[in-house]
Amino acid sequence: MESLKLRPAVFYLLLLSAVGGIALAEYGGSGGGKGSLLVTLVFWSCLAQGAVAVVAITDLVRARWVASLKRELLSLYPLQFLVFLLFLLWTPRLSLYPWSAEPGLWLNEPFFVGRNLALLLLSSLLAALFARLSLRGDRRANLLAVLYLLVFVASQSLVAFDWVMTLEYPWYSTLFGAFFCVEAIYAGFALAGVASYLLRRQRCDADPETARKGLRDVGNLLFGFSVLWAGLFFAQYLLLWYGNLPEEVHYILRRTGSTSALALSGLFLAGNFVLPFAVFLSRKGKRLPAVVGGVSLVVLGGLFVERVVYVFPVLSLHAGVLFVENVLIIFVGMAAFYGRKTLLPRGGEGD
Amino acid sequence: MKESKALDPREEVERDVLAVLCRPGVKWLAAVALCAALVLLGLGLWGYQIHRGLGVSGLMHPVNWGVYITNFVFWVGIAHSGTLISAVLFLFRARFRTSFNRAAEAMTIFALTVAGLFPLIHLGRVWIFYYLFPYPTERHLWVNFRSPLIWDVFAVSTYMIVSLIFFYVGLLPDLAIARRRFSGIRKKIFAVLSLGWVGSLDQWRHYNRLYLFLAAFATPLVASVHSIVSWDFAVSIVPGWHTTIFAPYFVAGAIFSGTAMVITLVYPMQRILKLEKYITVDHFEAIAKILLFTSLIISYSYLVETGFAFYGDNVFEAEQFRYRSFGHYAHLYWVMIFCNSLLPLTLFIRRLRRSLPFLFAVSLLVNVGMWMERFVIIVNSLARDYDPYAWGTYTPSLVEIGITVMSFALFFLLYLLFLKAVPVLSMTEIKEHL
Repeated sequence: MESLKLRPAVFYLLLLSAVGGIALAEYGGSGGGKGSLLVTLVFWSCLAQGAVAVVAITDLVRARWVASLKRELLSLYPLQFLVFLLFLLWTPRLSLYPWSAEPGLWLNEPFFVGRNLALLLLSSLLAALFARLSLRGDRRANLLAVLYLLVFVASQSLVAFDWVMTLEYPWYSTLFGAFFCVEAIYAGFALAGVASYLLRRQRCDADPETARKGLRDVGNLLFGFSVLWAGLFFAQYLLLWYGNLPEEVHYILRRTGSTSALALSGLFLAGNFVLPFAVFLSRKGKRLPAVVGGVSLVVLGGLFVERVVYVFPVLSLHAGVLFVENVLIIFVGMAAFYGRKTLLPRGGEGD
Repeated sequence: MKESKALDPREEVERDVLAVLCRPGVKWLAAVALCAALVLLGLGLWGYQIHRGLGVSGLMHPVNWGVYITNFVFWVGIAHSGTLISAVLFLFRARFRTSFNRAAEAMTIFALTVAGLFPLIHLGRVWIFYYLFPYPTERHLWVNFRSPLIWDVFAVSTYMIVSLIFFYVGLLPDLAIARRRFSGIRKKIFAVLSLGWVGSLDQWRHYNRLYLFLAAFATPLVASVHSIVSWDFAVSIVPGWHTTIFAPYFVAGAIFSGTAMVITLVYPMQRILKLEKYITVDHFEAIAKILLFTSLIISYSYLVETGFAFYGDNVFEAEQFRYRSFGHYAHLYWVMIFCNSLLPLTLFIRRLRRSLPFLFAVSLLVNVGMWMERFVIIVNSLARDYDPYAWGTYTPSLVEIGITVMSFALFFLLYLLFLKAVPVLSMTEIKEHL
């Protein structure tokens, strides 16, 4: 399927239907798996914001490789609005957070909801504006790129600190926010890898040499980010392990204490670091679109499992609900991706 | 030097860059003499400290790490950014690196040399420095590999070796050009140093591969080494130190301070040696953006650290950060915030980013701010530990201040000598971009 003729109204109707479907899965079923929506929310906020962040960064540093994938990455910006709506769905469950019993200055429900909604909305609006200006080749896109990146960092930091970390209040790690920002950018590059695979024929027909170089650059960036990810992961792990303080180390123990937890932790470590590192270390690994696309999918899978590991020791998960929610969002994402020609403005370097 | 009258731009590059190596002027000699005198004074103070013991410094319980360790971390930070700037910009194919890479790489080596002195100065009994290395001894003494201070020894020495190789490999084609254009004793020296480089296709192929490999190897090495320096503090359970963000925060801080130092060194070099044609305002603007970007990262770290000090119910962390902001050394803390977080924000304005005197002034203040940052991190946490009974303050002695001045003098002395010893710009890379 090359493209889909989709009017914005139809697309947003689809998006709202998906949100309705997720609400039904979450609140209409057996009631099991109270953390499923949080996993979905955290994962898709990472992807939706990361895809646009990658384009914003590459626009600012004038990286040429992204030119042929710009429209594809930017096509996912409406997912940020979907994340905004999903966060509204999550708000009835805020009582699950341990701090909700004793609200403080920073952690109280109205402020929690207010700051997160404001940032999600701002990020969504800036992404939409940036996508339009960037695709038109407008010079003001650079200013919007800077603004978007500032909001992106604030928003992903709050995703990490507020949504995930406070599940185990008062445990904290100051690196968590920065780690989530890096992961979101990593996810953006992985999406570029998947897009490279999906568009392999079209890109090779247009300009085989540029397509080859672009693929190699995506592979190199994924390799670099796999090392960066591992470095940050290790920096956090080492301090908790070395300090061996009961109030800190319990976080690791809960995620490695059982066979299933250990298996899941090993799985995301392999997906986010071992596999991309091993494959992209060689030049050959970066030549084939199928390899780059496949490893990118594994990276995205690794990031998803990592989010499961963050949540499941605290909140129960329901595999069926998790599956339905994510399939619905993938469906909306595919519609945005294949409908990009009609949903996004024409003109500029992105075309 | 053999003068060329040809108008070939490549010839012109060689002529302009190698002109820097001509007979030194009075100003250069005066600067060298001043730096050398300060170094001698500092060595004298160090000798005095060895003779009288560490009591001549201001170090006293509870602050056992003071200006010496501040200097060590500061200079290691400066050192770490040099190769990083050069290697990362090479990997990202950023053309403007050509204007800065040689100076940045040389700066790395000189800063490492200076940094390496401070653990020795801090040791007191410097003659037993070799206890830091694992060696067979009949007393069955073995270094404590669980201590990050030992990780430091290996990490910094590995980094020194890789940086030297990276610097030297990058110099090879330029040394061969210098060999061709000079005569007499200098020709002989450059002939030895250029290792028989003739610029054949085969040599270039090997050279490009090696350089790419070294750049790719140096990049994660730099990040890991400065992470280890951060763990000197972070693995200890001391309020203000034991925080997971320290590793990336120290790496970003190192790039930030090193970028500032590159500007501090290269701007006068560009003006005095008349290299405006090769180090342009556009190049400075590009590096100013790196300065701004890294400033935003460390400002984010300041914000997160301070926020989390008050997040949980850890009264020790909260007290530490209250003390940093309003305690004995609060003025240094606010200087740090101004220099590292507020002042660089002016670089969002394009006109200021492109004003070289302004950029130079910002770089100087960032150097000050980064030194303050190291001091604030080290001294505050030790001065206000858990037990109020053990609280205390620290004031550096004249000996420590003198030795600190010596470190700067030594750094600038080595840099001045570098200017007259090897080509200060990569001629081959400039020619590639013509």
